[in-house]
Amino acid sequence: MEAVDFERAKAIRQRNLRLWLAFLLAPPALVLIIFVFIPMVSAVLYSLYEWDGLARGEFIGLRNFYDILFGPRLSAELFNAFWNNVKVFVTLMIVQNGYALVLAMLLARNPRGYRFYQVVFFLPVILSTVIIGFQWKLFLNPVFGLVNKALIYFGLSDWALPWLGLPETALPAMLLVNSWHWFGFPTLVFLAAIHRIPTDFIEAARLDGASEWRIAREIIWPLMAPAVTIIVVLTFIGSFNWFEIPYIMNGLEGSPEGSTDMLGLLFYRTAFGSVSVGTSDFGHGSALAVLMFIFIFVFSILATKYLTSREVEMS
Amino acid sequence: MKRSISITAKAALVATGLAVAAPAAAQTNLDFWSWRQEDAKAYNEIIAEFEKTHPDINITYTAHEAKAYNTILTTALAGGAGPDIIHTRAYGSLENISGAGYLEPLDGKVDFSHIPESLLRGTTLRADGKVYSVPFATQTVLVYYNKDLFDKAGVTPPETWDEFKQVTDKLKEAGITPLANGIADGWTIEVASGAIMPNFYGESFFGDVTSGKTTFEDPRYVAALGKMAELAPYMPTGFEAVDYATMKALFTSGSAAMFIGGSWEIPAWREAGLNFGFMAGPAAKAGDTRMVATWLDGGYAVNAASPNKEAALEFIRFTATPEFAQMLADKLNNVPAVQGATPKDEALQQIIKLQEHQTPYIMLVAFRYQKPTGSTLLQDGLKKLLTGQATPEEVAKAVADGLASPE
Amino acid sequence: MANVELRAVDKSFGRVDVIRNVNLDIRDGEFVVFVGPSGCGKSTLLRLVAGLEDLTDGEIHIDGQRVDHLAPSRRGVAMVFQSYALYPHFTVRENMGYALRVAGEDKAEIARKVEAAADVLQLTEYLDRKPKALSGGQRQRVAIGRAIVRDPKVFLFDEPLSNLDAKLRVQMRIELTKLHGKLGATMIYVTHDQVEAMTMADKIVVLRDGVVEQVGPPLELYNRPANLFVAGFIGSPAMNMFEGSVVEAGADGLVLDLPGVGRLSWPASGTLKAGDKVHFGIRPEHFIREGEPDGKVAGEVYAAERLGGETYIYLNTENGSEVTVHASGDWAARPGDRLEAGFMLENAHLFGPDGQAVPGREG
Repeated sequence: MEAVDFERAKAIRQRNLRLWLAFLLAPPALVLIIFVFIPMVSAVLYSLYEWDGLARGEFIGLRNFYDILFGPRLSAELFNAFWNNVKVFVTLMIVQNGYALVLAMLLARNPRGYRFYQVVFFLPVILSTVIIGFQWKLFLNPVFGLVNKALIYFGLSDWALPWLGLPETALPAMLLVNSWHWFGFPTLVFLAAIHRIPTDFIEAARLDGASEWRIAREIIWPLMAPAVTIIVVLTFIGSFNWFEIPYIMNGLEGSPEGSTDMLGLLFYRTAFGSVSVGTSDFGHGSALAVLMFIFIFVFSILATKYLTSREVEMS
Repeated sequence: MKRSISITAKAALVATGLAVAAPAAAQTNLDFWSWRQEDAKAYNEIIAEFEKTHPDINITYTAHEAKAYNTILTTALAGGAGPDIIHTRAYGSLENISGAGYLEPLDGKVDFSHIPESLLRGTTLRADGKVYSVPFATQTVLVYYNKDLFDKAGVTPPETWDEFKQVTDKLKEAGITPLANGIADGWTIEVASGAIMPNFYGESFFGDVTSGKTTFEDPRYVAALGKMAELAPYMPTGFEAVDYATMKALFTSGSAAMFIGGSWEIPAWREAGLNFGFMAGPAAKAGDTRMVATWLDGGYAVNAASPNKEAALEFIRFTATPEFAQMLADKLNNVPAVQGATPKDEALQQIIKLQEHQTPYIMLVAFRYQKPTGSTLLQDGLKKLLTGQATPEEVAKAVADGLASPE
Repeated sequence: MANVELRAVDKSFGRVDVIRNVNLDIRDGEFVVFVGPSGCGKSTLLRLVAGLEDLTDGEIHIDGQRVDHLAPSRRGVAMVFQSYALYPHFTVRENMGYALRVAGEDKAEIARKVEAAADVLQLTEYLDRKPKALSGGQRQRVAIGRAIVRDPKVFLFDEPLSNLDAKLRVQMRIELTKLHGKLGATMIYVTHDQVEAMTMADKIVVLRDGVVEQVGPPLELYNRPANLFVAGFIGSPAMNMFEGSVVEAGADGLVLDLPGVGRLSWPASGTLKAGDKVHFGIRPEHFIREGEPDGKVAGEVYAAERLGGETYIYLNTENGSEVTVHASGDWAARPGDRLEAGFMLENAHLFGPDGQAVPGREG
C-alpha cells in the first residue's frame, strides 16, 4: 500500500515538473508562431495570387513561381542573383572562414598578446553592419576614399580603381568588407573548438613525428568538425540571405550591371518596389521569398546532416 | 421655490452646455500625412491660413520618414485606416494606391482649371481616366554651375553642345573636374539624361513614342544617347563608383564645376554658401530652343475610407488654388503645379521661366507603370553606355525590347 | 635500446623552478620509475626527456647523443599518456600505425608491424574498432601498442595505470613488467604510487620539489632511505617516526632520548652532538612480539585490524604519538588493551636535524 503511494507521488511530481517546463516554453513558442510561422504561411498564400499594387487580384496558382523560374526577365535576374549568392558563399568559405581557421590555429598556440589579438579580431563583429557598410563605402570612395588616397600616396595610382563601380571589383570589394566584418566570429568558434581538443592528442602526434601542418590537417581539423558544421551552415544561410552590405554599399539594384545583385535584393525590389524599379509586386516577391526559404531550408538540413556524420566524439 | 430655481438653473446649464457643444461637434479633425519632414513648419503655417477661413476644420500634419512613408501609408490603407488627407507621389507610385481603390476620385469635385493637362496626367489613373490627386509641385532637371570656378577657368555658361564641350575642355585644362555627376546611383544618371537628351531628340519625340508612332530605337533617340556617351570623360575619376552623396560633395566643395540635377538641390547649394547659377541643358545647335525636363512631384488626395470626406475635399479644393500655389512657392520654394502664382524667389522665377520650354521627364512620366520600368532599362543602358560596354544603338534596342515585353 | 643521461637539468616556468639540477644515469634496458608526491616535477622531468618541454638549462643524452635540442619525434622515444591520447577519429590500426605512416613507411610494412604488436598485446580482434568502442584496459594496451610499433630507444610512461580500476591496475602492472622483460627496452615510468614503483622498478628516482631525493633499487630505498622524506614516502603503511634528541654523543655512539620509546643507545654517531634534534624511525612491519628486542614502544590500542594472515594494530603512546604495528599472523589485540611492541636497532633508522640518515652499525 505504502509503496503504491510512493510511486504515485513520484509520478505526480514528475508530471508537474513537465507541465511547468511546457508552461515556461509556451510563450516563446507562441511568439515564434505569431511572428514566424504566420508570416510564412501568408507569404505562401500571397504567392498564389495576382497582385495589382496593394490590391489582391485573382488566384493564379503557381503562375508567379513559373514567371520567376522561367519568365524571360525575372528568371534571368534570379539566376544572376543566385549565381552571385553562390559566389558569395564560396568566397566567404575560402576567404573569411579560411582566414579565420588559420588565425584560430595560430591563436591556439598561445602567442604573446593572445588576449589582445582575441579582442581585436572580435571587435568588428560587434560593430553594426550598417555602420561598417557605410564606413567602407566611404573608404572605397573613388574621390575622397582612404583606400585610393593611400594607393596614390604609395605610387600605385594605376591601382586606384573605382572599386564599387566596376563589375569586376564591386563584389570582391564587398566580400572583403564582409569578411573583415565577420572573420572574428568563426575565428572564435574555431578557437574554442581547438581548445576543446585535449593537448595530449597534439603532443602524441608531435611524438609520432607529425609536422605542424600534418597535425593541423589530420588531428585538429577532424576533431573540430562540430565547429566546422556550425560555421558552414551559418555561412550558407548568411550567404544566401546576404542583404545589408550589398544594399548599403551598392544599392537595391545590385549595380554595377547586376554584379552585386543578390536574391535578397531581388526579393526586396520585386516585393516592395523602389524609386526607379517601379511599383511593388507582392505576388512575385512572395513567390521568390518562398523559393528562397525552401532552398535555404532544404540545403541547410542536408548540409547539417552530412557534416554531422563526420563528427567524432572525443575521449 | 428653491426647487424650481434649481430646475431652471439646470435647464440653463444644459442649454448653455448645448450652445457650447454645438460648434465643437461641428469641428472636424483631419489627419494629413506626408513624407516631407523638413517642410512641417511651412505646412503648419499654410494649414493655419486655411483654418482661418475654415474655423470648423482642424488639420493635423504628420510627416513620416521619407523612405518608410510608402510602406507606412500602404499598410495603414490596407488596414482600412490611414489619414483623411494624403500627400501622394505621382505616376506609377500613385497608381499603386489609386488602383487599389483607396483614394477618392476628384473629377467634378475639384476645380482643375489652374493646372496644366500634362501635370494632371501624373495623378490620373490610366484604367479609369479619373484624377485622384491634386498635383502640387514640379521638379525640373537643371545644369548647375559654380560661378567662381567658371571665372577661374575663364569660361561663360555654354549655350550649345559645342560650347558645352569647349567649356568642359577648358575646365579640364584648368585642373577642374568639369562635371560632378557619376553613375553609381542609377537614378542620378537618368536625371542627367533629362538635361542633355531632350534637346537632341526634340519636342515631338515624347508624343510620338507614347502614342506608339515610334519606339526608342528611333534615330532621334539613338543620336541623343550618343551625346550622353560623350559625358564620361568630363566626369570625376572613378565616376563608376561616384554616388549621389559624392556628387554633391564634389560640387559643394568646389571640386567640380557643374552638376546636373533636380531643382530640389537649390536649398542645399544655398546652405553650402555656393556662388552658383543654373541653366537648361545645351541646345543641339545655335538658335534651337533649350528644353528642360520636368515632372510632377506628387499631389494631395483624399482617403476614400475617410469619415470626413467633405471636410477633406474642402482642403483639397484649396490646394488647387493660386493662393495655395503662392504659399507653396514662398514658404517652401517649390515650383507649384498650380499656375497663377508669382514667387518672390528669383531662382523659382527663373525655373518657371525655363519651364516655358518644358518636356516630360520621359521614363518617369510615361514608362514607370510596367515591369521592367523604363527607368530601370534606361539606367542600365546609360551605365553600359558611359562605361563603353554598349553602343547607343544597343542601349536603344535594349530599352525598346524591355518595354515591349513586360512581365 | 639505449642509455639515458640527464646532466644538470633545470626547468623553470616563469619564476617557478620546477626541476632543479637533476643528474641521472639510466642504463640500457633499465626500468626506471620516477616517483614522488604530486607537484614534485616527475611528469615534467619525463616531458623534458620526451621533448614536449624545453630545458631551461642542462643536457639530455640518449644513446650517447645529445638530444635536448631535437624535436620529440627525433629523439627515438615513445610515450604512453595518462589519458592514452588515442586519436578518436582513427581506428586502433590507424592509431598504432600513425607514426609509421607519418614516417612514410611502406603500407605492408606498417600492417605487419601493427599486427605483430597487436598480437603481443592481444588486440588483434579490435584492430578495426574506434577507441570509443574499447574498454579502459584495451585502450591502455592500444596506447602501449602505439609505442611498441615505433620500436623506440626509450619508452616513456606518464602515470599510465591511474585511470584503471584497482584490479586491472595490478594485472597491467604485471603485464608491463613482462613486456619490459620481453622487449628489454629502456623504460621510464612516472607514478605517484610507491607500490607501482616498488613492484616494477629496477631503479627508483624519488623526487620532491624538483630535486632528486634518492636514486636506487627499490629495496635499497626501503632498507636504507637516505633521508626523512624517502623514509616516509617509501613503504606502506608509512614508517613510524619518533621525535627526540641526542643526550650524549661519544666516539662509539649516541645516547638518544625518545619520548614514547625511552632512552636508547645508537651504535654510531655520525656528526651529531648532544642536544641535536633527531627523528627515529621504525617500519610497522619491523615490530616483534618475541625474543629480546633492543627497545620497546608501549601504548594503548585504539584500533586493530585482524586480517588473519596479518594484523595491523594502531597505538597511542603515552606522549600522544601514533604508532602503527604490522605483524604477520594473528595478534589478538582489542581497543583499550595496553600493548608493548619490540624492535631491533638493526631495523631502525635515525635522521639528524638536517633530515639526512645517520648511519647505523654497519655503515
